[in-house]
Amino acid sequence: MATLLDILTTAAILYSVAAGLLIVFGVMKIINFAHGGFLTVGGYSALLITKLGLNPWWSVPCAFAIGFVCGMLIERLVMKPLYSRPLDAILATWGLGIIIGQLITLGVGREVQFVQSPVSGTIDLLGGTYSGYRLLLVLVAVVIAIGIALLLNGTRLGLVTRAVIMNENLARGLGINSGLVRFITFSLGAGLASLAGALITPLSSVDPNMGVPWLINAFMLVMVSGVSLVSLAVACLVLGGAQVLVSSWGNPILGGLTIVVLAAVVLRLRPQGFSRG
Amino acid sequence: MADAQAAAPVAGAAAGVLGRTRLRSLLIVCGIALLVIAAGPYVLPTYMVNGLIRAFLYAAVALTVDILWGYTGILTFGQSAFFGIGAYAAGLIFTHAGFGPGYAALALVAGIGVAVIVAAVVGWLAFYHGASPLYGSVITLVLPIVVSQILYSGGNFTGSSSGLSGFESFDIPIEAWFWIAGCFLVVLTAFAWLFVRSDAGRILVAIRENEQRCEYVGINVSRVKILLLVVCAAIAAIAGYLFASVQMVVAPEYAGFVFGTELLIWVALGGRGTLIGPVIGTLVLDVSTSYLSGNLPFVWKLVIGFAFVVVIVALPQGLMPLIKAAVRRLFGRKNTETADFAPRLDAAVEQPYAGLEGAGGCALAVRDVRKQFGSLKVLEGIDFEARRSELLSLVGPNGAGKTTLMRCIADGNERSGGTVLLNDHDILELPPYACVAFGVGRKFQTANVFETLTVAEALRIARTRLAPPSLWTREEGLALPHASMQVIRATGLDKQLGTEARYLSHGMKQALELAMVLALEPSVLLLDEPTAGLTKPERTLIGGILTDLARDHQLCILLVEHDLDFVREISSRVIVLHQGRILLDGTVAQVVESELVRTIYSGGHAATGGAA
Amino acid sequence: MSEAALDVRAIRSGYGEAPVLRDVSFDVRPGEIFALLGKNGMGKSTLLKSVMGFLPLHAGSVGVFGADITGLPPHKVARREIAYTPQEQALFQDLTVEDNLRLGMRDDTFFDAGVKRIGQFFPVLPTRLKQRAGTLSGGEQKMLLVARALMSRPKLMLIDEISEGLQPSVIDRLAGVLRAERDESKVSILIIEQNVKFALSVANRYAVLKLGEIVDRGDIGGADVERRITDQLSV
Repeated sequence: MATLLDILTTAAILYSVAAGLLIVFGVMKIINFAHGGFLTVGGYSALLITKLGLNPWWSVPCAFAIGFVCGMLIERLVMKPLYSRPLDAILATWGLGIIIGQLITLGVGREVQFVQSPVSGTIDLLGGTYSGYRLLLVLVAVVIAIGIALLLNGTRLGLVTRAVIMNENLARGLGINSGLVRFITFSLGAGLASLAGALITPLSSVDPNMGVPWLINAFMLVMVSGVSLVSLAVACLVLGGAQVLVSSWGNPILGGLTIVVLAAVVLRLRPQGFSRG
Repeated sequence: MADAQAAAPVAGAAAGVLGRTRLRSLLIVCGIALLVIAAGPYVLPTYMVNGLIRAFLYAAVALTVDILWGYTGILTFGQSAFFGIGAYAAGLIFTHAGFGPGYAALALVAGIGVAVIVAAVVGWLAFYHGASPLYGSVITLVLPIVVSQILYSGGNFTGSSSGLSGFESFDIPIEAWFWIAGCFLVVLTAFAWLFVRSDAGRILVAIRENEQRCEYVGINVSRVKILLLVVCAAIAAIAGYLFASVQMVVAPEYAGFVFGTELLIWVALGGRGTLIGPVIGTLVLDVSTSYLSGNLPFVWKLVIGFAFVVVIVALPQGLMPLIKAAVRRLFGRKNTETADFAPRLDAAVEQPYAGLEGAGGCALAVRDVRKQFGSLKVLEGIDFEARRSELLSLVGPNGAGKTTLMRCIADGNERSGGTVLLNDHDILELPPYACVAFGVGRKFQTANVFETLTVAEALRIARTRLAPPSLWTREEGLALPHASMQVIRATGLDKQLGTEARYLSHGMKQALELAMVLALEPSVLLLDEPTAGLTKPERTLIGGILTDLARDHQLCILLVEHDLDFVREISSRVIVLHQGRILLDGTVAQVVESELVRTIYSGGHAATGGAA
Repeated sequence: MSEAALDVRAIRSGYGEAPVLRDVSFDVRPGEIFALLGKNGMGKSTLLKSVMGFLPLHAGSVGVFGADITGLPPHKVARREIAYTPQEQALFQDLTVEDNLRLGMRDDTFFDAGVKRIGQFFPVLPTRLKQRAGTLSGGEQKMLLVARALMSRPKLMLIDEISEGLQPSVIDRLAGVLRAERDESKVSILIIEQNVKFALSVANRYAVLKLGEIVDRGDIGGADVERRITDQLSV
């Protein structure tokens, strides 16, 4: 029973972390390796809230806003010339991740720090006890998923964004400013990453390189998901579930490899991964 | 232009001289580098000597990254893994088995062996036919993560996160290590320099520029990439072995992803695709990092991060070209890179396709070929044969399936059903390079050439299959079959052998691609709109060449063309495609007179069509 | 003086360095339908892509209603009340009919009124709003294309080979819609066509494009126009 909950919560966490990366990949066809940096930014936003003694819930909007602003700046300053060079975009965004990590190191220091959790204690569930915060994260992942789905399917901006994803030239011919759509998407992706960073910190700790391992897993999950939010959920459940199983019955270090290796194998056998197309 | 014409006859001889001067200057540069290395330990402080040994070995790995990424276009995060494998081979054997000459040799062989096997597996995974470049990079990114995690989980055997240290190693002074590592780097750089400038080395650039065109001139790109990765892995493993032997310490970080990206940063800053840039970049950046203390390393890393982003965004070729340009301006030398090599043209010993003469002369047979994307049928029941000396035009409105049919003939993986025989060989599901071996040559619709290679280099690459290139040198002569030579002479390309393709006019690019395809000595020639975007005189010229090829060289030519006047002038037979089916197959006169064809072309609705 | 709805002056354009159009000039007057005829591969679609700003001009200029739009990006061109209907991949196949129609407008304010209006021309479309565009029949897709262009009440329409692959009855229907828009709403329309009969049935003037140059032009109405054009286009 606990294993099932582990799988569910792990998948939820992975989903929250990867959603922003997927959105950016879907619209821009580039991999944002600064995603790890944005996660770290979110983690430190949460730390800041803790240090200021505010209610830990404040870290959610705060992290999102800070990440969003970082994303806006970076899209304007760095990303624009790279849209036609996807492999170089990976490298440049990795460089941005380094810059973010070093700025944090210089500003806050390298030491590992801890963040106050908004929810503490355990919940009795189905005859066992389980971490309340982890269960809350499942709810948060669902909220994020619904939020993105509503944004994409219920608003004019979402319609325009889907149009750009499906056929950018056609969209431009209909008067849609695809540059603006990219700008908003990248910023939103950064905001979501930062939000996810703030959410995962109470589970572990913050340090300037906390984003890197998450980045790799999120990257592989996006690779196997194509550009669909639904297949991302499937990929998170399947691969995240495998990770939990390997970690608990095998070796935790090998468990850390599960997503990466399985995703690579899935892609070799089925280049479109978990997406239907 | 007149200058070039006058220079052409002596170009061959000049090329030979040039090749020798190049070799001499390479030897001089190497000699100086070795002298500097010999003197190093006597003039440098000890910690600097130590730092440089490490930097030399890192630079050797950076060199392999440059060959893979800078020259071949494979963005790799994984060379650190091979470095780590070499290092751990030494560390594990020296720790657990002990040290001795036998064990030292065993460790070296084991390190190289494991690296080679891992590289072959990774290459098989990453570079299968049709793999996207992003997928290849994903695999090279997974590799160091897997290797370092395995090292972490190895417990006492691998020393887990603290690695192995304090094992016994070669008992030689630090100066000797300096010389060994230095010589290793210099010799490696020299060989790499020769290799990338050799005829075979140009193939790497060709793959980077246009992988598809490489496949269609008969090069097995996957195999080239896998071989290259294997060699680069072995080199990285040797560097790792030396590193472990001299430092007497190994740790999982040396096999990890972060080190893999650091290599990329050094290469990018030094200048990808320059060999010497990445070497200098690595030496400068690594040594300078080790000098810093306190908060400075973080500031320095921040600066490098900024520089990296700026270089990738604004100076994709790195800092090396800037330095080169500055040096040139200082010494007032001209840029000699582009037009430095214009070989002599020779007639090739032609190797006409053998299987055909006895087989009755049916060069191309297409039987019931179908192609569909999901429920959309693009081709249905396509059935025809074509013989040598036939010039068969394929016409029809947009979306009739003409280009798709071409694709199905030249690549066994394209069609959804039916059979294609090239010179009586079933192409099964073979990739394009294998179809080339059956005698097919395909020219694409938009000129599909290698932008940064010269005309001569591109033609030589087209000869790769029939005349395997040298790994270390450049042929002084360029041997081409008659048909290819004819195109080059008729279009004046023979005066521009040393010009990079990107500086050619559109018409010249079309001619170059045609010459490249003819250099394959095909018996079935597929041409997709060879005259698109050409002027009237250029069209006439191409038309004349095509009829000559069919008549004098017995080529079977399949031509997709929109310009029906052109079709009428040169074809011996015409097939009309409409909505994925053959509507008419007959002589030019029959097609011209056909009421059906007229209806289709004036936009009416053909009786046989079924779309609503 | 009334300014031309579309004024194309001496443009040269193409893909990369390859020239496809050489010194093409023509104008579309306010409230007329202008037909640009030509066979495949003669540069017709390239011309529209150049006008829309998808392809950079090597030379020449493009003006709409007196304003110079040379070098503007496509979305800015489209926002000058121009509706562009490309020939290939012109619909968002995976979006619903409704979403496709919405994307024809700058905002959703007049969406319901717009649907009502296009319902008069194509009664089938308002009944299919929730259907995916890719599942419509070929004829219905073409109707949707024209409907989407009309949603924004454009002043200028650029339409690429709308009649291709359609049954005569559907072609007649579309011709009727275009004529009505011109006559009642004074919309200027440039149609790119291979189908001479269709072009003659709607256009006021025509030009024939061959190998990137205009080889013939004139008013439609003369007795021998159809023969002249067919000769130009024939094999």
